[in-house]
Amino acid sequence: MFVFFCPHCGENREEEEFGYGGEAFIPRPSAPETLDDDAWGDYLFMRKNPKGWHWEMWSHNTGCRKFFVVKRNTATNAIAGSWTLSDGRKAYDAEGGAT
Amino acid sequence: MSEPVMRSPLHSFGLASQARQIDDSCGVWANEIPYLGYISLRGDGRDQTFVTAASNALGVPLPLQSCTLSSSNDLKVLWLSPDEWMIVAAPGQANALRSCLQQALAGVRSQVVDNSGGYTKIFLGGSKALDVLRHVSVYDFESLQPNRVVGTTFGKSSAYVFRQGDGYRLIVRRSFADYIWRYLARAATPYGFGIANAAPG
Amino acid sequence: MTSFRVRRPGARIDFEKPLSFSFDGQPYSGFAGDTLASALLANGVRMLARSFKYGRPRGIVGSGPEEPNALMQIETGAHTIPNLKATQVELYDGLTARRTTGYPTLEFDLKSIGGVFARFMPAGFYYKTFQNQKLWPKFEHIIRQAAGYGSAPAEPDPETYDHSHRHAQVLVVGGGASGLLAALAAGRAGLKVVLLDEQKECGGWLLSSPYSIIGGKAADAWLKIVIGELQSMPNVEVLTRTSAFALHDMNLVLAVEQLQDHLPLAERAVNRPRQRLHRIRAESVVLATGAIERPLVFGNNDVPGIMTASALTTYLNRYGVAVGKRVLLHTSNDHVYQGACDLIRAGCEVVLADARARVNPAWEKRARAAGVDLRLGYGISFARGGREVNGAQLVKLDAGQNVVTGTGPSIDCDALGSSGGLSPTVHLYCHDGGRPHWDEEKLAFVVPATGRAKSRIYCVGAVTGEFGLQQALEQTQRTIGDLLASLGKPTDTTSAVDVRTDEPQTVPPRRIFRIPDGKREGHGKKAFVDFQNDVSAADIHLAVRENYRSIEHIKRYTALGFGTDQGKLSNVNGFAIAADARGVSIPEVGTTTYRPAYSPVTFGTLAGLHADETFEPRRYSAMHACHVARGAEFEPVGQWLRPWYFPLPGEDMHAAVRRECLAARRGVGIMDASTLGKIDLRGKDVREFLGRVYANDWAKLAPGKCRYGLMLDENGMVMDDGVTACITDDHFVMTTTTGGAARVLSWLEKWHQTEWPDLDVYMTSVTDHWATAAIVGPKSREVLAKVCAGIDLSSSAFKFMDWREGTVAGIPARVFRISFSGELAFEVNVDANYGHYVWEALMDAGGEFGITPYGTETMHVLRAEKGFIIVGQDTDGSMTPLDLDMAWAVSMKKPFSFIGKRSFARSDTAGPNRKQLVGLLTEDPEIVLAEGAQIIERADTAPPVPMLGHVTSSYYSPELKRSIALAVVRDGINRRSEEGRKAGRNVLYAHAGGKAHKVRLVSPVFVDPKGERQNV
Repeated sequence: MFVFFCPHCGENREEEEFGYGGEAFIPRPSAPETLDDDAWGDYLFMRKNPKGWHWEMWSHNTGCRKFFVVKRNTATNAIAGSWTLSDGRKAYDAEGGAT
Repeated sequence: MSEPVMRSPLHSFGLASQARQIDDSCGVWANEIPYLGYISLRGDGRDQTFVTAASNALGVPLPLQSCTLSSSNDLKVLWLSPDEWMIVAAPGQANALRSCLQQALAGVRSQVVDNSGGYTKIFLGGSKALDVLRHVSVYDFESLQPNRVVGTTFGKSSAYVFRQGDGYRLIVRRSFADYIWRYLARAATPYGFGIANAAPG
Repeated sequence: MTSFRVRRPGARIDFEKPLSFSFDGQPYSGFAGDTLASALLANGVRMLARSFKYGRPRGIVGSGPEEPNALMQIETGAHTIPNLKATQVELYDGLTARRTTGYPTLEFDLKSIGGVFARFMPAGFYYKTFQNQKLWPKFEHIIRQAAGYGSAPAEPDPETYDHSHRHAQVLVVGGGASGLLAALAAGRAGLKVVLLDEQKECGGWLLSSPYSIIGGKAADAWLKIVIGELQSMPNVEVLTRTSAFALHDMNLVLAVEQLQDHLPLAERAVNRPRQRLHRIRAESVVLATGAIERPLVFGNNDVPGIMTASALTTYLNRYGVAVGKRVLLHTSNDHVYQGACDLIRAGCEVVLADARARVNPAWEKRARAAGVDLRLGYGISFARGGREVNGAQLVKLDAGQNVVTGTGPSIDCDALGSSGGLSPTVHLYCHDGGRPHWDEEKLAFVVPATGRAKSRIYCVGAVTGEFGLQQALEQTQRTIGDLLASLGKPTDTTSAVDVRTDEPQTVPPRRIFRIPDGKREGHGKKAFVDFQNDVSAADIHLAVRENYRSIEHIKRYTALGFGTDQGKLSNVNGFAIAADARGVSIPEVGTTTYRPAYSPVTFGTLAGLHADETFEPRRYSAMHACHVARGAEFEPVGQWLRPWYFPLPGEDMHAAVRRECLAARRGVGIMDASTLGKIDLRGKDVREFLGRVYANDWAKLAPGKCRYGLMLDENGMVMDDGVTACITDDHFVMTTTTGGAARVLSWLEKWHQTEWPDLDVYMTSVTDHWATAAIVGPKSREVLAKVCAGIDLSSSAFKFMDWREGTVAGIPARVFRISFSGELAFEVNVDANYGHYVWEALMDAGGEFGITPYGTETMHVLRAEKGFIIVGQDTDGSMTPLDLDMAWAVSMKKPFSFIGKRSFARSDTAGPNRKQLVGLLTEDPEIVLAEGAQIIERADTAPPVPMLGHVTSSYYSPELKRSIALAVVRDGINRRSEEGRKAGRNVLYAHAGGKAHKVRLVSPVFVDPKGERQNV
């Protein structure tokens, strides 16, 4: 079981308080109708699923009910940090948006 | 038709008739503090217009620091998230408070909802109150400071918890109150579980 | 019966308190302080088990969690617990224990007949024999009778359990010398410390070695002082009888505390849990888990009376039991010498065969001075004896190679202890991914002395391979010094303790695991590696010969380390023998994976308070007491408990539902609809937001109006539905399904927070605030008129899909004119504190109209008669609105591409032959199909039978006086169309209960197809 730092509540909290929110930074296409089925299918179904560092969302269900970003290593379960959605986006972009 | 009667979420436990003065016979004491007013307030804590208007209407500053609360004689304002607060008011005050807030926040991006039927408050005290909280929740209550409020697990449900006097107050959702009370009572059994008289607000 | 009690200073036995107990029906006596194992040994009970495969006599081997043989069934009836290790069961007065092996009896075990089975049961026996699956049924019964261990209790557990979540700055696991010193240092530094020890008191090996000297004090006195100081510190908590069994990510340690198992049944407090699960989150974890001595592997090494040398010493010094008068010890290292001297002092004769030709001179001197008969350079070829050991044959060993160079004497003995070295208890260190490394000098898999500083896991004492007491304590001081320094704390709290001991410096052990007997492996006497699973050295050689290479495969092929002891005695010997058989080094073989739990944990402990009445949250509406008073039967719906039906005296469910349905269709019914999810939405952009998350359009919904909406996921599939009301232009109230409330709110928040934070919308759950009563039926308006004020209820002023604000029974209320039954209906919402009152007021008002409360079953019949879906029952995450024939609830003209819209055009979603919702009528109107019944083309069910769909809802309709059903069927909408009917494609079969029933596909709207009744 993990401990996450909730960037809104400002405290370390036990995993039981949180819910998994899936891979972070999968923006919804702004004009879905212009995408072909393959591109739309990528948005719907394709995930990075890396062995290693992964940017993901968690939601603080019993606390502030906010989604936030966690950078977690899926192989070691090490956590590099957690950020609000907007700060997380900046940190992600600063790394070149790569996994 | 008879006069309207309210029934609190823990009515079926008949707590009032079992209540007695807190003494050393039990390690854990609890009771329901029913019929308080609960207002859910949403707005942007970084929006000075919202914060000022809300604080003025409430008569206490809106707590902006995470997991803190502010209080006056007749109400408490709990920080729940950067854009959500819960206001706990004296019985019968919710409607007036809601109107007052709505007026003050007219035209300001915000939400004011009367949730008075949706919550109840539980007093928890006694020498073993901390032990029993360890049984029911994952949070480190030993480190919970006064004037802080935490939203955390309670068994497989959740609760908002803060310290008051030498005990704790739990704010729980109405439909989960039965489960939470049973869970609390079972967890407290090893220490002796007493129903406390006249729980202080 | 050669064992005897000795009174030794420092022993933990209270000879003033005799206790009686029984084993296999025989009465015995012991003393307070005994374990079941020590008491059985003191009573001369040697054989107390039969082995798993061969039925060989077995006795006690260890003195703690490593015990492989002495698995006991403790107590009877509801209190019975299977497979407890006798070495870990504290004796109490009246304890009842039974063997768990031996079929039909312990004295005569079927499996042991002439060793016949032995020859036929090599490694992989089951795999090889029962590859032919026809054989298994013939032998299963016999094998199951003869094999296996204790029995699970058949009655409900009368005891309770709970969990405790703790947070510590420093968690010390293990209360031996090193753990105590670590806790003391951290405690003195003011840190919040929790110390765990699995035994009834701290002390670890010092309890077995009371004559050790630490800092000039006898171990006993040292323990008293240290434990006393720890107990005096408010920041330190010492939990004994608490076994840490798992270490998870981020230093979460799980430990089980035995609160009552050591007490006689009659003395156990009913208000106390039997066991408590501690979930301890620690900033730093100090593993002081020590080490367990492993035996040497030699012929017949499983005869009762043969144990580890440390167990012999522990029974003597801690429990005051000398297991035999003439003791033969066999070792490859220094650890047995103190015990040998202690046995002499207790009055035993001791022969000590050391595999090393040259031994530690300090120990040699002490042993010889004490009177130990030392035989250097010898090994045990095989032990003698059947049901108890009576001697052993020694062989002369080559000084370098592990081969026999000559024969040795035959030694008579009545107890035999062996030591093949110490195996550090590295399990917890390895649970979250750590691996131990092989120390060739110490002949042990050890963890780094520095622990894993990055994860703040520190290791001290024997677990790091520091087997000498003084070295262990010094290493503890260094490591805890590092820990304190990393926290900016002064480190002198650890160095202040004098840890000098009187132990001689240890010299290296001999690298030997399997004592050679001069024969090829498999040709001499059986030499066991894993006692619990009857794995011999020859079995491991066989596995290697059969080309198993990975130790994980060898483990699974031979069952090495599979038992409840998890290979605590056997693993290292097994790895070493596998290494020798393969001709590689031990590090190349490596270890198997260490997984939680370190030792068995009861299901009750894992469940804690998540059992019985608090198993799951049970949610109740504010009107629940009203339904109880009217005799309702209830059913769980998600976490809610809802009225199912309201039987009158003498009514069964069918009769009650029939009466309730007809009341709602012809008169007036009332239903508690409080459980529906309700979300209050406020903001300038709510309309836009609703348009994005719902399939239909919200731009023109006026205040005072309601609309039904389908919520889709991005795949275009229906995920929820409900009615949303426009309160004011920027204020709406959404309802969700009962089960979907939390999911929908989280879904909406996620979209708002991640994609559209700029939209001016706030959402708040008001599910629990509003209590809702639905008044349903042609007379509902008349009932409501009696108690409602402030609302013009006339059909022209208050239309279908309108809502109004007023009072009901004097309570402020929102009244929605919506219907889930197709009848005229009103849903009254009030502050839940008044829910009970308002329900009763409505019942009073409806009395003269025969108002009839109804539950979920009638609600289902009424809605199915109208073809209204239940999301999650008639849909399963693969149904689009079009599949449901609900195109009317989709607006393709909205400018924003609402969630799910794009997926309508995906080839599969837009393709032909999708499963679609239809109504079904059975040919025989009395047959009510089973929900889930498969829809097939023909009555002929000879395979293969293509599945066309299945029944999703099925009821008997009192209104129609016949059965009705909803189903999803491939191309169902075409099949039931006029063309389909003409082509005969609308007649299919529903297969249920072994029979195929002819059905007709029809419109799902069975009652009032024009929808006139709800508008009256």
